[in-house]
Amino acid sequence: MTALNLSRFGTLIAFLLLCIGFSIAAPQAFATQANVYNLIQQMATLAIVATAATLVMTIGEFDLSVGFSASLAAVICFALFGQGYDVWLAVPAALLAGLAAGVANGVLVARFGIPSFVATLALGTILSGLAFGASGGASMFKSVPDGFKSLARGDVFGVPVLALWIVAVLGVASFVLTQTEFGRRLRAIGGNAQAARLAGLPVMRDVIVTFAVAGALSALAGLLLASRLGSVQHTMGEPLLLPAYAAVFIGTTASPTGTPSVAGTLLGVAITGVLANGMTILGVDPFIQKILTGVIIIVAVLLRRMGRTAQ
Amino acid sequence: MLALNGMTKRFGATNALEDVSLSLSGGEVLGLVGHNGAGKSTLIKIIAGAQAADGGTIAVDGTPVHFHSPHDAYAAGIRVIHQDAPLVPSFDTIDNCFLGRPYPKRAGRIDRKAMREAIARHAREIAPDLKLDIPVAFLPPAEKQFVRLLKAVSDEGRILVLDEPTAALPAEDAHKFFAVIDRMRARGTAIILVSHRLDEIAEFCDRAIVLRDGRVVEELSKGELDVARLVTAMGGTHAANEDRPPVAASARRILEIEGLVTGELRTPASLAVRAGEVVALYGLSGSGRSSLLQALWGAAPIEDGSIRLEGAAYRPRSPRDAVQAAVSYVPADRHRTGLFGSLDLVFNKTLPLLSSYRKVPGLPIPDTRAERSAFLVAAERVSMAFRSPGQLARTLSGGNQQKLIFSRWANRHSRVMLLDEPTEGVDVMAKQTIKEIIRAIAADGNAVLVSTSDRDEALELGDRVLVFRDGAVVATFERAQASPEALSTAAQAKAKAS
Repeated sequence: MTALNLSRFGTLIAFLLLCIGFSIAAPQAFATQANVYNLIQQMATLAIVATAATLVMTIGEFDLSVGFSASLAAVICFALFGQGYDVWLAVPAALLAGLAAGVANGVLVARFGIPSFVATLALGTILSGLAFGASGGASMFKSVPDGFKSLARGDVFGVPVLALWIVAVLGVASFVLTQTEFGRRLRAIGGNAQAARLAGLPVMRDVIVTFAVAGALSALAGLLLASRLGSVQHTMGEPLLLPAYAAVFIGTTASPTGTPSVAGTLLGVAITGVLANGMTILGVDPFIQKILTGVIIIVAVLLRRMGRTAQ
Repeated sequence: MLALNGMTKRFGATNALEDVSLSLSGGEVLGLVGHNGAGKSTLIKIIAGAQAADGGTIAVDGTPVHFHSPHDAYAAGIRVIHQDAPLVPSFDTIDNCFLGRPYPKRAGRIDRKAMREAIARHAREIAPDLKLDIPVAFLPPAEKQFVRLLKAVSDEGRILVLDEPTAALPAEDAHKFFAVIDRMRARGTAIILVSHRLDEIAEFCDRAIVLRDGRVVEELSKGELDVARLVTAMGGTHAANEDRPPVAASARRILEIEGLVTGELRTPASLAVRAGEVVALYGLSGSGRSSLLQALWGAAPIEDGSIRLEGAAYRPRSPRDAVQAAVSYVPADRHRTGLFGSLDLVFNKTLPLLSSYRKVPGLPIPDTRAERSAFLVAAERVSMAFRSPGQLARTLSGGNQQKLIFSRWANRHSRVMLLDEPTEGVDVMAKQTIKEIIRAIAADGNAVLVSTSDRDEALELGDRVLVFRDGAVVATFERAQASPEALSTAAQAKAKAS
């Protein structure tokens, strides 16, 4: 039982050790209010994209288009601003575009049986082409309404808005996955899709809905990123893809059965975020940061494996 | 060839094996039977070198040996063949046989001709009809088994341990399989056959030993081998084919099928099932019996014909429709199509009818306490043995996994219960319990359809037996008229060439 607990909470303990380590190494810079604020800002977009990836991985699929959806949504939103439309039209339109991209992914996977890896990579490529075209390849930063900027900036009662976004999105996603019939069905599909179908679950519908939600969440992440930065590039979401899956995989090491969970993913996001943040503070070269992050993912998954064999 | 003497193995306080001895000569087939947990697996692992015994000696060809790893056992010519031992689907028989072995080379390149000859030499003797040059993915299940055997004997395997080799094979293919075993025996290979199918043991083995609680409780030679004796020795109960009164002709007709054509069922089939009646659908795999169930479950399209459920037209488009019409289904091949192995028992039980566990009606949030108590009730009804409701389904034994799938439907009244190979790959005791459960389901007034490739099961369970062959219902027997011979003759009159 203790061995089980250790393997279960090992990832959490590793995170805490990381925080303690950086606090000792950089007492003036790491555990300060300003830095925590900064950390949350850096983590929020990734946390939401990683949640999208978590949902899709729960049904045993991959969505490689998350970053592209994020870019396209931001581009659409800013293009509409450029045309003089206001926030109440541009934001829903951008979210709908992400949703539509997700539905397309889901239909390709569930209805036409294309492996999700291929389908979402192909669709993501299309999305990136669309974003390129709509943005003209240039950076967009003109005529952004003030209302949009407050989406990700500032705070409410001293809590950064982005922290509230994390709590809201991840909270709802976690509740849906763990407490509702829909979440139960997703776990069943991920466990054994064929058995889920034969047990009478609406597998095709659920898969499409999952991809659709993932698309909409990616779009939301793109909008929050755009709001925070105040400008949009048509490739801005792409760097989110690998860290998002890295976070999900680190998160699976916190589950006794190695399955993805929103809580685990948040832990994964926090670990990668704190790692990058702490190393930057300590002045570690960016290239070493990357190498270390990769090594840590491999070690985490290996430790998890060994823990499981020991049981 | 192989001699084990006084093998003992303990796990904690339990004696997995106690003073087990056996000997095996070349050209002999030794049956090894026992319930799950009797010690068969442990014994096989020791022979395979995968586990070390706590006591006892092993000798191969009269020389004492010590197996420190599976590699040592392999070097001694021992091959353990599991029924689902992986083959590379895209490789042909020859490449599969050479997997993990040094390739013959000619001028630095792999000599395909020499490989083929090395395999064909053995294939000619044991399985002359096996196609060597097509990807094994295209071979029927029985022939995949031949590939596994061929791989073993072509790589100097002299002592073969076959673990449930026919569990996934329909009866006809099992016969072909044993024809191959016979030829291997004739060449002097020593074979240990582990099987739940006691009739096979009785028919094909030269001798059999029965394990119970880690001890050899009986050793039967050819003349003494019969199913009843094996069952007695194993500690099971041999179900006499008890006489049941036929279901009254006046009983309500629940299910009426008219001219149904679907999947492998090509000739229109008609059938009516009454409340409380068990209809057995007997035939080889691919004969159309499973297709009939899948159509009733909404998992396969109905191409022609009509179905009535308690008088009302019934045409399920998906399993969802079937669930809502109070039709229930236990699929064949539970690992692939039934079980959620990486999820817990309660999850597995409540999933198909999850919406009936809502705390607040209309709100799709399951009440986990209600689920748990429903699970406990259902587990009791199907006499499932488990450690905790939260354990993962894959950690249950085969029989308990099957009971878990039965338990899904245990808390509701099913108008029609569809069971496809319900006792496949479960041990004798669990088989008996499952048969009792099936009778109980029928006695509750449900119409039950059992599709099976097991003749005795069809006879034992069915109030009526429909025999399927090549996509058609070729015979129907009332319980009183059915006999093993009649069923076999009908099912295999014109066996499909494969």
